[in-house]
Amino acid sequence: MFQGMNFAPAQLPPELARVREEVRDFLNQEKDWVPNSDFNAGACPDFSKRFAAKGWIGMTWPKAYGGGERSFLERYVVTEELLAAGAPVGCHWIADRQSGPLLLRFGTEAQKAQFLPEIAAGNHFYSIGMSEPDTGSDLASIRTSAVAVEGGWKLNGSKIWTSNAHLNHYLVALVRTSPPSEQRHAGMSQFIVPLQAEGVTIRGIENLAGEQDFNQIFFDDVFIPDDHVVGEPGNGWAQVMSELAYERSGPERFLSAFRVLVEFGKSIAPNPTEAQTRLYGQMVAHLVVLRRMSISIASLLEAGEMPDNEAALIKDLGNNYERWVPEMIRLQQPDEVSEGFAQALNDCVLHAPSFTLRGGTREILRGMIARGLGLR
Amino acid sequence: MNEQQQLMASVTRRILSDHCSTELLDQAEQGQYPEALWTLLEEQGLTTLGGFEALGGGGGDFCDVLVVLREAGRYALPLPLAETLLGVSVLSALGVALSDGPLVMASGQFSLDADQRLVGRGARIRFGRDAKTLLVVAERDDQTVLCPVLASQVEIEPGVNLAGEPSDAVVIDQKIETSNQIVLSGEGLQAIEMRGAAMRSVMMAGALEEALSLTVGYALERSQFGKPIAKFQAVQQQLAVFATQVAASTRAAETLMVTQPLNLMDVAIAKARIGEAAGLSAEIAHQVHGAIGYTKDHRLNHLTRRLWSWRDEFGHEGYWQEHLGRELLADTKTELWQQITAMG
Repeated sequence: MFQGMNFAPAQLPPELARVREEVRDFLNQEKDWVPNSDFNAGACPDFSKRFAAKGWIGMTWPKAYGGGERSFLERYVVTEELLAAGAPVGCHWIADRQSGPLLLRFGTEAQKAQFLPEIAAGNHFYSIGMSEPDTGSDLASIRTSAVAVEGGWKLNGSKIWTSNAHLNHYLVALVRTSPPSEQRHAGMSQFIVPLQAEGVTIRGIENLAGEQDFNQIFFDDVFIPDDHVVGEPGNGWAQVMSELAYERSGPERFLSAFRVLVEFGKSIAPNPTEAQTRLYGQMVAHLVVLRRMSISIASLLEAGEMPDNEAALIKDLGNNYERWVPEMIRLQQPDEVSEGFAQALNDCVLHAPSFTLRGGTREILRGMIARGLGLR
Repeated sequence: MNEQQQLMASVTRRILSDHCSTELLDQAEQGQYPEALWTLLEEQGLTTLGGFEALGGGGGDFCDVLVVLREAGRYALPLPLAETLLGVSVLSALGVALSDGPLVMASGQFSLDADQRLVGRGARIRFGRDAKTLLVVAERDDQTVLCPVLASQVEIEPGVNLAGEPSDAVVIDQKIETSNQIVLSGEGLQAIEMRGAAMRSVMMAGALEEALSLTVGYALERSQFGKPIAKFQAVQQQLAVFATQVAASTRAAETLMVTQPLNLMDVAIAKARIGEAAGLSAEIAHQVHGAIGYTKDHRLNHLTRRLWSWRDEFGHEGYWQEHLGRELLADTKTELWQQITAMG
């Protein structure tokens, strides 16, 4: 393809059919939720704990840290099954996808031994601490800062849009540890902030759907011990960037509207019009191609590569798909629809604005793709 | 793609980048058949690719054919290579020795009467006038048969598609030996359509990659307001969208290049998805190129006009979306997610 982009065909090894069946069996037994394929839609600590007991959190990590030493593709199968079933994955999602791998890559031996087994056991849940009230897409403009004190750091400032901070145990926060300089990306570090620590205040923010899943967090002279600094102080920017390929390329970037598609299919199956059949085929065609692209990236991650541009590309394509599905289905829905259909559609319409914002806005992603094309 | 396929792609690409110039494309459109280029392809064995060697074919499988045709699409090759390779695959599957190329399939209103006379007319036969042998699909009683007919013995009413490629009507009235009436099964007919759609899919994917590359190059070259237009965010965002469409097309096309045997669902997905990408991408390519891309002189139009033609040939997006939707909805016992994961 064009330079720097690689979506070479990759297939899930056939032996992964077994873990897929295991996850399906588990989910069928568990199922007591209203399915919603948006990874951010449901959070249930007990579910995450039982899920962890199956060995499915941190499953790619070394056994020494509570992991399962399984392949990244195996993890891919597990995560897509969770989303497709609309399971409440919100509690463990971030720690499993992002915080754990970050610690594994940059953390000290002691940090890995302390934090990873608790994540893998489903005991500890994590939030992402990047955005601030005055910092959205321009992440390098963060102002939350820490100054060195005896034995650690004193943290002041605020983070915002932190999903489930009120339920979670830790926040991985990007903070300034040196004043801004000519080099915009220098002087930042990542801290593991215990959300119960003294000086941490969490205030819920209601989203437009009337839910309180995200928050603003305030830090008022919060003491962070040295052993809670992830990696090298000052290396925060590079570390955050290394999370992106994991954060952006997974099935959660195109499956958020999946339940709407499922309900639509069920409702039209007995007697579909030509227009409904076409729309259904069109949406499945997009989905299958997105999934194949995502699996291609998962294979690159498995091979130890960091496909940042590919990840940005699939996120943009996938997020736009997620936003488009409810809009198109709305116009082709049958006159009489089930409660499940109506609820899935309404939920999706209300949450759709977040799809193209969270994890990097459409505009930022397209800027990255443009850079990959050599335009910037 | 395996090593051999990569080699084949690069050989094809080398020939076409040396010979398939904008000038040649313009001349072909004015009616000068690029015979020399056909001979070159023939010498490389590319015009019989995918046919059994025992039947006079060049060997290789249909995946190899698709690999080569993506390159043909990339260079907007104005020759009946896809048509010929489709004919080769059909004859080979039927166990029939290959006729002289170029081969072109011809379907339309053709029938064989009790006196073994083949009579009828088929419209929009791509490269009909350039064929040496036409493979005519005709009705005989309640059967469908394939009849190889020498193109010199039929009447051609010339026409063109959106891309200015020959798209002719063929009128036939001649006696056909029974040995030249080969029965086609329903499956065989479906395989022809499926292979044709797969070919157009990969050709579009190649043309899309090339159109993106041309457009990115132009955006970096063209200056306005004192800087290359590539530096404007409005342009960058458009090109990023273009790139997402090309990436999806390439992925959908490459599935076909690595899957043996070809299956109808993958082809439906590819033709529907890439056809959609073709429209969207051609729009952006032209918007970024501005007025110069709207001229006949510019190479871009050879790609975009083909994209607009190819997305309609062998079933447009709606046709394949409907096929896909119907197949999935008919199987009420299997949940959608299981259907999707089963497709791989």
